Amino acid sequence: MIGFVGLSHLGIVYGSATAAKGFDVLGFDPDSKLCDNLTAGLLPVSEPDLPELIQSHRERLRLTSDPAQLAACDVVFFSLDVPTDSANQSNLTPLRNLIDLTAPHIAPTAAVVILCQVPPGFTRTLAREKPNLGGALFYQVETLVFGNAVERALKPERYMIGCGDPRTPLPPAYAKWLVAFGCPLLPMRYESAELAKISINFFLVSSVTTTNTLAEVCERVGAEWSEIAPALRLDKRIGPHAYLGPGLGLGGGNLERDLVTVQTLAAQHGTEAGVVAAWQLNSRYRRDWALRKLHEAVLGQTENPALAIWGLAYKIDTHSTKNSPSLALISALEPFEKAAYDPQVRIETGTIPNFSQAPTALNACRGADVLIVMTPWKEFAGIPPAQIKAVMRGNVMIDPFGALDRAEAEAAGFSYHRMGSPAQKRS
Amino acid sequence: MRITHHNPEPKDPRRVVVLGANGFVARRLAKALADGKIPHAVIGSSQVDLLAPDAAGKLRDLLQPDDALVITSALTPEKGKDVRTFMKNLGMIDSVCAALDTVRCSQIIYLSSDAVYDDADPLVREATPRTGQGLYGMMHVAREKMLESAAAGKTPIPLCIVRPCAIYGSDDTHNSYSPNRFMRTALKDRKITLFGQGEEQRDHVYISDVIRFLLTCLRHRSEGAVNIVSGKAVSFGEVAIAIAKLSAQPVQMENLTRGPGSIITHRHFDISLRLRAFPEFHSTPLDVGLAESSNELAGTGPA
Repeated sequence: MIGFVGLSHLGIVYGSATAAKGFDVLGFDPDSKLCDNLTAGLLPVSEPDLPELIQSHRERLRLTSDPAQLAACDVVFFSLDVPTDSANQSNLTPLRNLIDLTAPHIAPTAAVVILCQVPPGFTRTLAREKPNLGGALFYQVETLVFGNAVERALKPERYMIGCGDPRTPLPPAYAKWLVAFGCPLLPMRYESAELAKISINFFLVSSVTTTNTLAEVCERVGAEWSEIAPALRLDKRIGPHAYLGPGLGLGGGNLERDLVTVQTLAAQHGTEAGVVAAWQLNSRYRRDWALRKLHEAVLGQTENPALAIWGLAYKIDTHSTKNSPSLALISALEPFEKAAYDPQVRIETGTIPNFSQAPTALNACRGADVLIVMTPWKEFAGIPPAQIKAVMRGNVMIDPFGALDRAEAEAAGFSYHRMGSPAQKRS
Repeated sequence: MRITHHNPEPKDPRRVVVLGANGFVARRLAKALADGKIPHAVIGSSQVDLLAPDAAGKLRDLLQPDDALVITSALTPEKGKDVRTFMKNLGMIDSVCAALDTVRCSQIIYLSSDAVYDDADPLVREATPRTGQGLYGMMHVAREKMLESAAAGKTPIPLCIVRPCAIYGSDDTHNSYSPNRFMRTALKDRKITLFGQGEEQRDHVYISDVIRFLLTCLRHRSEGAVNIVSGKAVSFGEVAIAIAKLSAQPVQMENLTRGPGSIITHRHFDISLRLRAFPEFHSTPLDVGLAESSNELAGTGPA
C-alpha cells in the first residue's frame, strides 16, 4: 500500500499515477469534505486527462481523513503543494502541521518520502527533528507541470531521490515503486535533490527570460522570433524542448518561489546571485507587455473603450490564476469596461470593477474595440477572425502568444499585435 | 514600487500651495489651478527666501494643515553645478522640512528629475537605482530622501515624487540641448545645431502633460514615486526635423563634429507603473506638443 498525505494537485496526480501503475493507494487529507468530494469524482483542480485516469483506476484508490489508516502503508509520500505568499515565499506551516498530525500513525518500517516543494536543508532538519518518522526518510523531486502533469507523472524523465546517505540501498517497497515508472534513478544527498528541483527551474527561467529579451528586440528591429526559434531548437546545446515561446513573465508561483529561495540562500551564505533580480525585473516588465500595447494601440486614442479579454488562467489547461498576467492586466484597467471569457476560470461577480464574464468567447467580443488574448486556450484557434471582427466595434487584436492566425486576422481587417513579431508584417 | 491614491475618486484639494513662483512649471501650474478654480497660493523667493534663517518660520505661518504643497523650487544647473549650489538646494528643502515638522499638510508633491537615475541604464523605470547624475542628480536624490523622512513622521503625509524627463514648452527659460533650444533657434536664426546627426534618443515631455499630471496627482492625493515622461524616446535628429517642418521658412541643420571617443547614449523609459496607476492619463504626441509650442513661440497660438 502506498500512502499520499496531502491531497492538493501534487498528491492527487501522483496518487492517481501510482494507482495506474498497479499499486493500491491510500490518499489521506485531514479535510474530510475534500476526501468525500474526491471519492465522488469532484476534483479541486483542473488537469487534462486526470478525471479519466482516476476513473480508470478507481478500484485501487481509497481516500480517508483518518490518519490511523496510514499504518498500513509501506511507503508514505508527503504530497501537499507548499503555498506561497504574495512575495513568493514558501509557507511551510501547513506541511509541518501535516507531518506532526500523521507521524505517530506511520509504520516504523515505512519509507517516508517528502514530495513537496521544500528548500534545501528541510529534509535533513526533519530527519534530525523526527528520527522515528518511518524507517527511512527521503526527498523526491517532483517535476510536474500544470496542464501536463498526468503525462509527466506517468512518464517521468528521471527520478532524483534525496537520501540521508546515497550509498545505502533503497527500501524494497520504495524501490519497487520507483522501478515501476521505468526511468533512470538518481540517488543523491538530500540537499542535492532539493537544489536539483530549484536548478531545473532556474534553467527554465533563464530560457524564458532570454527568449523574452530577444523577442522584444525582434518586435523593434523587424525580426520574427517564430522564424528564429526553430533554428535554436536544432542546436544540440539548446534542444528541441527548450522554453523558446515568448511569454508574459513568470506565472504560477513555483518558478518565482525558487528565485526567492535562492536569493535567501545567497544572502545567508554570501554567494553572488544578482542575475535573479534581473530575471525578476524582466518578468515584471514582460507582465505588462499587453498593457503597454493596449495603451499604445487603443486606450490613448479611443473614448470609453470596450475591452474583450480571452483567458484568465495563468496558462492553458489549468484553472490556476496565481500570478496570472491576465488578472494583472485587468487590475490595471479599472476604469474601462471589460468583458472576459475563460473556459475554466470563473471570477465572482462584483469583485472586479467594470468587469463581466461572458458565456462564450464570441459573446465577450460584442461591441468591443479591442480583443486581448491573454491565455492561448486551444479552442480560440478554432474561431475564425472574420467572425470575431463581425461582432466587434474596433479592429485591434492583441494576441501575445499567437493563439490566432496572424494572416487570417489581418485579412479580416485586424491590426494585429503579437510578442516577438513586428507590429506591421513586412512583405 | 507602487502608487496609492488616497482619493480613489478625484477631488479638488482645498488649497494648493506652490513653492517656486518664478519657475516655468510653477507658472503654468498656477494658471491651471486658476483655470480650474482651485484655491491656491504661489510662494516665491520674494515672499519666503528658503535660504534665509527665518524661512521655516515664515513658511510655517503660511501653510495650513489641509494644504497640498507642491515643491518646484530648485536652483537648476544653469544657476550652477558646483557644491555651493548643491548645498543651497539642500538648504531650501531643509527649511521646507522644518516647516513640515509643525504643519502636517494633506499632501506633498515634489517635482524631482530623471537625473536621480543611474545614467548607465538605457531603460529607466521607477525601480532603477537612484544613484544620481552628478551633483544635480545627487541633489534631487538627497531632497527626495529628506522629504521622505519629513513625510514619514508621527502623522504621515502622503508624498508624491514626480520625476520628469526634459520638459519642453514655449515659455521654458532653459536653453539646454533640447527641443526648446531647437524651436528658438529655428525661429530666430533659421538654424538648428546638432551634435553629429543628433543620434541620441531621449524622452521629451510636454509642459501641458506635466501640469495635467500634477493636477491628477493632486486630485487623487497620490502617494509614491512616478516618472512623468512620454514613454517614447526619439533622437534629437528626429526632433530637429519635426521642428524644421513646422517652420514657415527653411531651417538649416548644422551638424557639429563629435569629439574623438564620444559615445552616443540613449535613454528610454518603461512607463508601466504610470499606465497601471493612472490608466486614464495619456501623453500628448510629440508632433502635437511641438506644433503647439512652436505656434506659441511664434506668437500664433495661445501661451
